[in-house]
Amino acid sequence: MINSSYITFQKISFGFNGKEILHDFNLEIMKDKHTVLEGESGSGKSTILKSLLGFLTPNKGSIIVDGQQLHPQKVRQKTAWLPQDLNLGDGSVREVMKRPFSFKVNQSKKDLDFAGSLESLGVPADHLEKKFRDLSTGQRQRVGVAICYLLDKPLLLLDEPTAALDRASKQKVADLLLDQKRTIISTSHDPFWVDLADNVIAL
Amino acid sequence: MEIINITWVQLALGFLIMLLPAWILWRYRTGLNTKLLTSSLRMVLQLVFVGYYLEYLFKFDNPWVNAAWILVMVVVADYATLDRSELKRKPSVLLPVFAATFLGIVIVDLFFLEFVIKLSSFLEAQYTIPITGMVLGNCLRSNVIGINAFYYSLDEHKERYQFYLASGAAKSEALAPFISLALQKSANPTLATMATIGLVSLPGMMTGQILGGNSPLIAIKYQIMIMVAIFSGTVLSVFLGIYFTNRFVFKDTDMLDESILKK
Repeated sequence: MINSSYITFQKISFGFNGKEILHDFNLEIMKDKHTVLEGESGSGKSTILKSLLGFLTPNKGSIIVDGQQLHPQKVRQKTAWLPQDLNLGDGSVREVMKRPFSFKVNQSKKDLDFAGSLESLGVPADHLEKKFRDLSTGQRQRVGVAICYLLDKPLLLLDEPTAALDRASKQKVADLLLDQKRTIISTSHDPFWVDLADNVIAL
Repeated sequence: MEIINITWVQLALGFLIMLLPAWILWRYRTGLNTKLLTSSLRMVLQLVFVGYYLEYLFKFDNPWVNAAWILVMVVVADYATLDRSELKRKPSVLLPVFAATFLGIVIVDLFFLEFVIKLSSFLEAQYTIPITGMVLGNCLRSNVIGINAFYYSLDEHKERYQFYLASGAAKSEALAPFISLALQKSANPTLATMATIGLVSLPGMMTGQILGGNSPLIAIKYQIMIMVAIFSGTVLSVFLGIYFTNRFVFKDTDMLDESILKK
């Protein structure tokens, strides 16, 4: 049922330093569903997300988005991406959260509740004035989740979104992001997160 | 006021003072004595060559010859920039850095020499060559710092750049923080010099003018002008260097072609 899928990976092969990590890989992503790519480290989960964003180019195969060959710049206008290890530089949390909204494509988004979104993830509002680099890995990850939520894009790409979080924080991330009105592709080997998927692809 | 000429014998005599630092370097086994010898020889040979060449250049004083000499200086600076930077000597980098340095120099030279000082003849050698040389020397140092800072921070913080792109940023928007960092790192040394000039040290151009018999008041005006020229030239050449190279070292996907980095 290739035609009904929103994103299709067709016979994708990826290799780094002479080692192939994906060979003739096929994947279909349904619109407005949450698909989890499950697998061990090095199985190619992050590679799939990065290839959809044009950060990595497959050695072979094609990626179709909305019936057309992948055009990374077009896809990026519709996405929010949470990388595994978020490093947004030396500024305060408020500064790093504001930056994505200074981009032309996001400037229409007004009345952004930075403090509220952080608090709903269990990060106190006064952390907005702290240096981003001084936060713990889990707090940085939640700042990334808050940015993804506020960007409010139709395609959400989450790379191990619960890796550095406790059970309560995982639930808060799920409550904020999994609202059924967008397409979500996430990578995880966390049973809590995998259970929340509409579709699980094992790699 | 006549300047006292230094004879070649006197100059050779002046080298005797070097025996003291040479002994200290030898005594503490720094391994720098051979380097001291080769560096001193290079300095003498290069400056003797430039001295004779400039004598000829000043006597001839033809704008085309002067412009050709500037071009040679920019080409040498271009190669030196890439040799000292962490970028490979590829045409996609060499040509844009050359264009940026050349354009930066042309803008600053034309502004100061033809608009501010108003030379009696176009590109008059006595002014054009030393001022261009001073600005270019500083452009070289700033380009190395700025270009290294830009490409290495971009490579080191790749995920930050990618995060901005994935959040919908255009390439220019996602690169802006890295350009800001490169400009800060390359402009700071000149700003620090400007803030302490005259207090910590007497700068070279001013010293040269005073030794040449000029009034200190004329010397400081030239020094102020040269600092403005150096600051403007360095910021322009660093910015243009990044702007021009950016057009050739990224793939269609906005990812940096990492083959330009020496790593």
